[in-house]
Amino acid sequence: MAPEVTIYIDGKEVKTTSDKMVLQAANDAGIYVPYLCYHPGMKPYGACRMCVVEVEGAPGTPASCTLPVRDGMRVSTGSQAVEGVRRTVTDLLLSEHPQGCLTCHRVDLCGPQDICLRHVAVNDRCIMCPKNERCELKDTTRYVQMEQHSPLTYQYRNLQIETRDPFYDRDYNLCIVCGRCVRACDELRGDVAIAFTERAGQALVGTSRGTSLLESGCEFCGACIDVCPVGALVERDYKWEKPVRHQRTICPHCPVGCQINYEVDRRERVIRAIPDLNAPVNLGQACYKGKFGFNFVNHKQRLAHPLVRRNGELQEATWDEALTMAAQGLAGHRGPSFAALLSPRATNEEAYLLQKFARTVMESNNVHVASSSPSSALLEGLGDVLGYQAGTNPIWDLEQAGCVLSISNNVTEEQNVVAVPVKRAVRKGTKLIVVDAREVELTRYAHLWLRPYPGTDLALVGGMLRAILDEGLADEAFLKDHAEGLEALRRSLAEFGLERVAAETGVPADQVREAARIFATSRPSAILCALDNVPAEQQRPCARALAELAAVTGNVGKPGAGIYPLVRGANEQGARDMGCDPHFLPGYQPVTDEAARRLAEGTWGRALPQEPGLPLDQLLEAARQGQVRVMLLVGDVAAHYDGAQEPLEAALQGLDFLVVQDAFLSPAARHAHVVFPAETFAEKEGTYTNVERRVQPLRRVFKAPHVPEVQPDWWTLCQIARHMGAPGFDFSSAAEVLGEAARVNPLYAGISYRRLVESAVPTCRPSTETPLPTQVEYSEAVYHGLMWPCPEASHQGTQRLHAEGAAAGQGPEPTLQNLAMGRIQEGAGGARVQGQPCLVPLDWAATPRSHDPQRPLLLAMGRVLQQPQRETEVVRGKGLNRIQREELLEMHPEDAAAASLREGQSVRVIASGHTMPATVRLAPGLPRGVVAMTRLFGGLAVQLAASEAADPMARVPRLDVVPAQVEPAGPPA
Amino acid sequence: MTTGEALRKRVRQTLRDQPYPTVTVLSSLLAVQDDMGYLTEEAIQEVARFTGTTINEVWSVASFYLNFRFTPPGDHTVEVCWGPACHLRGAQTLLHDILGQLGLSGEGETGDSHISLKLNTCLGACTQAPVISVDHGLMGRMDSERALKAIQGASHPRRRERRHSREVR
Repeated sequence: MAPEVTIYIDGKEVKTTSDKMVLQAANDAGIYVPYLCYHPGMKPYGACRMCVVEVEGAPGTPASCTLPVRDGMRVSTGSQAVEGVRRTVTDLLLSEHPQGCLTCHRVDLCGPQDICLRHVAVNDRCIMCPKNERCELKDTTRYVQMEQHSPLTYQYRNLQIETRDPFYDRDYNLCIVCGRCVRACDELRGDVAIAFTERAGQALVGTSRGTSLLESGCEFCGACIDVCPVGALVERDYKWEKPVRHQRTICPHCPVGCQINYEVDRRERVIRAIPDLNAPVNLGQACYKGKFGFNFVNHKQRLAHPLVRRNGELQEATWDEALTMAAQGLAGHRGPSFAALLSPRATNEEAYLLQKFARTVMESNNVHVASSSPSSALLEGLGDVLGYQAGTNPIWDLEQAGCVLSISNNVTEEQNVVAVPVKRAVRKGTKLIVVDAREVELTRYAHLWLRPYPGTDLALVGGMLRAILDEGLADEAFLKDHAEGLEALRRSLAEFGLERVAAETGVPADQVREAARIFATSRPSAILCALDNVPAEQQRPCARALAELAAVTGNVGKPGAGIYPLVRGANEQGARDMGCDPHFLPGYQPVTDEAARRLAEGTWGRALPQEPGLPLDQLLEAARQGQVRVMLLVGDVAAHYDGAQEPLEAALQGLDFLVVQDAFLSPAARHAHVVFPAETFAEKEGTYTNVERRVQPLRRVFKAPHVPEVQPDWWTLCQIARHMGAPGFDFSSAAEVLGEAARVNPLYAGISYRRLVESAVPTCRPSTETPLPTQVEYSEAVYHGLMWPCPEASHQGTQRLHAEGAAAGQGPEPTLQNLAMGRIQEGAGGARVQGQPCLVPLDWAATPRSHDPQRPLLLAMGRVLQQPQRETEVVRGKGLNRIQREELLEMHPEDAAAASLREGQSVRVIASGHTMPATVRLAPGLPRGVVAMTRLFGGLAVQLAASEAADPMARVPRLDVVPAQVEPAGPPA
Repeated sequence: MTTGEALRKRVRQTLRDQPYPTVTVLSSLLAVQDDMGYLTEEAIQEVARFTGTTINEVWSVASFYLNFRFTPPGDHTVEVCWGPACHLRGAQTLLHDILGQLGLSGEGETGDSHISLKLNTCLGACTQAPVISVDHGLMGRMDSERALKAIQGASHPRRRERRHSREVR
C-alpha cells in the first residue's frame, strides 16, 4: 500500500495514496473533473486536456489525469483560468467534430434531438450520429458550458464509414482521437488490432493501411466500443436505439461469468451489452460472444406457448393441459428408465430442482448437465487429488503468475476473458508455456510451444512430473508432508521415462524438460486446462496428473498459482455443485454413501435411489437401446452437446415420452411430446457459479413482451412435480430454491440470494448529474458474489482453495486501479497447503494412433487472430468483408515424403466430410502423423455475424482434431 | 513461388541482417526502406512478425514518420528548398518552373517514375540560397535554367545505389 497523503481539492480535504493522480483522487472523493481521454483501468494519458486544474504555487494549468498527488497539494478545479482553458479545449475538439447537436439554434426547442432534419448541415444533424443523446462528448461540452458559437470552423472529414466488418461500425468522421480505443486494445486486451495512424493534424485511429479488422488481429471483444466517448465506434445491432434503462446480470456464454449491463429500449428489447467495469470477474471486459451474442432473447421465433403432441403433431396448448400431460407421461416411468438432462446455461436453482425432481419424484440418478466438454472427468480428476471438484484460484490471479501452463485448451475463443490476464501477464514478463498440437491464439505469446501428438497430454504431463522430481525441483515443504503418496507416485512415474514420453508425444525430451524446469522454477505457476482432444479414458488420469503437477511444485493455495479447469458451459460448475451428476448429490456427496443420502432424505422427505446413474454417453446409448424410455430436457441442451449431436437426436427419437423446456423449438424439442416455453437468462433470477467457484446473482433484465406466457425453468419444474402430487416443490421464487439448496449443499451453506444482491459495495462517484463514460455510469456498485466453500452466513467465501489467511479469504481482490498502475498485489504468498492434497499414482497409457486406413492422418485445425507472415486478401463485396487466402497445410517432412508430397505442392485435405484445397508446407516441429492448418479468427467472426441461427454464439465451431486424408490435387476437373 | 513470397524472403533477409545491437520496429522499417526504397504491404507484415508486434503497431510507426514512403520512389530524388532564405532569393519561381518542367503539381513522382520531387524546409546551405539537391548532391545559387539542366542531367540510365539515409547528407 502506497503511503497516505492529504491533498485539498477546491478547499476540500481529500485523503488518498501517493500512487494516485489528482484526477483519480478527485473521482474517488466524489469531486468531478471533466475528462474525455481518461478511463478507469487504463494508464494516465493526458491527451484531451479537458481535465486541467490549477495548483497553488505551481505555474500553468496541468492535466490532472497525469499529475501525481503530493502531500499538502492545493488544487482548484473550477477557477476562471481553468474554465477558460477548458472552453478553448472544447472549441478545438469541436472544430473537428460535428456539433449541430450543441450549436443549433433550435437546440432548446427540439427537446429530444431526434427529429431535426433541416436546421444544420447534413453531416452535422443530430440524427446522423448513432450516439445522439448518449454522447459523452456532448454531455461534457454542455457541462463546461461552451459558447454557442465557436470561432473555429468545422469541416467534415468525409471519410468512408467502415461498415463491412462483423459486429460493429467505425465512423472516424466522429473520432476525437482521445485514444481510449487504441489504449483499450493495447493495454487492456494486448491485441493492438487498432492503432494511431499518421501524425499531427492528420492523426486518427485505424488499422494498417486501412485494412479490414478481419486481418488486423481483432478479436471482436468490443472493448473499444465500450470506452468510445463519441459515435465513432458503435455496435451494429440496434445501432440507433436509445436505452431507457439498464440492468446487470451474468453472461450465459461461458463459465467466466462476466457481469454485463444490458441496455433495454422502450420497446422492451435488450439492445446492448456493456461489461461491468468494477465486476471482479471481468473488470470491464467481455468477448465477442458476450458483447454481440445476446440478441436471441429478442428473437421472433421464441416459443410463446406450451406445445403438446396431438395426433403426432406438436400443437399449442394451455399451461394446464401441458403440465397435466407431462405429469401423466412422466408418472408411468419412475426409476432408472427416466433420465434428465440440463443445459449448462440453467441456473443453480434449476439444477438443484432438476436433480431433486429426478431423484425424489422420478427415483432415478440419471441426471446430467449436458456438455461437449469433458467436464466431469476433468473436475473429478482434480477432486481426486485436490479434494474439490473445481478450479482453485480467481481469474485475475493469473496476472500475478510467474508461469502459466496452458494445455489443450482454446481459452481465447471459449473462455475469452481468462486469456486477458494471461496476455497482460506475459507483457510483464510471465513465462507462458502452451501445449497444443493446434495453433491457438495463445501460441503467439508463448515462450515455449510444445506440439504433442493430440491426446498424449497424460504422457507429457507425466514426463514433466518425472523431470521435476528427478531434478529435485519439487516443493520441499510439500514433499515432507506427503512422503507416502509421493513414493507411490514416484514409483508409477518410472513408466514415464523422458525418451519414452518423447516417442509417445513427438515432443523432444529436452523440450519436455525445459517446460518442467520453467514451470517448477517460475513460481507461482498456474495451469489452464480443458483436456481438448484427450481420449475419454485418459481424461481423468490426465486431470489428476495436472493437479499433481501443481501440488508437487507447491503451486496450490497461493495467489498466481493453482489450476483453472476450463469447462465450456456457463454454469456447468454450478450444475455439478448442485448434484446434476449421476454419482453425486448436491455438494459432491456420493449417492452411494448412506450417510450422505440420509442427510438429503432428511430435507427432501423421500427415500433416494442408491444406484448411481449412467455416464452421459452410456445413457444416450441406453436410450437408443430402449432401456431409458423417458427424458426431461431442461434448456437448450442440444446446443451445448454439439460434439455428439447425432447420438443425442438418435437417443431422443425412440423415447416413449420426452418433455423439453426450451426458449426455442430446437431440433431436440421437435421430438418432444410436451414442450414448455422457457425464459432466457435475461429474464431469470437465480445464480450461476463460474470457473472460479464464484456464485453470482442473475437479475431480471426484461420480460420479452412478445412471449408473455413463458416461465422460468424452475417454476415449470415445480409445476410438473406438483401436478404429479409430489411434495417439496412449493417454491415461490428462485431465492427460496437457493435457500433450500444451501441447507443440503454444505459448500453453499452460507450463500443466499439476498446476501449476493445486498452485499454489493457502492462505488464512490461524482453526482449522477455529471457526464461520465457509460461503463463508469453503469458500474454503480461492485458485486463480489461469494466463492464456495462458504460454510456459514458470516463467512466471506473462499477465494483460493487450500490457502490460509488472507490468501484464502476476501483478501486483496483485483481492482481496476492497481491493475492500471501495473502494480502487482502482495498476496499471502507463503500460505501452507491446508486441504492436504492426496497424490494418486499415474498409469502409463498410450494414446491410440489413428488407424483409419482411409484417413491415416490427424488434422489439427488451429485459429489465430493474425498471421502477418501470410498473404491474405480481404474481399470487399456486398455484405461483410471476407478473407481469401491460400491455406497452408503443415506437414512433417517424413509424412510428406511417405505420401510423395513436397513443399509448395497443391493438395486436397479430406476431413469430416469436407474437402479443402491447401498448399503443403513442411513443418519439422509437428509430430509425425499430424497435419495442421490455421485459419484466421476473422473468418469465424464473419460466419457468426452472418449466421441466421437464433443463437449462433451457443454453437461456435470448435477446434477439434479429426482424422484426415491428404492427396495431391489433380488437374482441375 | 509467388512474387509476394519472393518479396517476403528479401524482406526477411534484410531484417535478419540488421547490424544494430537494438532491433526495433523503427530500425526494421528503416532497414527495409534502405533496401527497397519504400515499404510494401508485405514489408509491414514481415516487420510485425519479426518484431512480435501487430501490423497496426508497425503501421502506426511507419505512417507517423514522413520519411517512410509506401510507393516506389523515382530513380532520382530532387529536393527543392523552400525555407525562408531560399524563399527570399526566389525559390518560389524556381519551384514553379521545376514543377512545370516535370509536369507535377506538388511533391511526388513523375509519370515515368524517373524523378521524385520533394520539398525541403532547409537543406542547410542558406548562404547559397536558393538551393536544390539532386540525388542528395547540393547545388546552390540556383536559377531556373541551371536547375532544369541539373535535373535533366540526373536522367542517368543506371539506377541509383541505395544507401542508408543517415549516411547521405
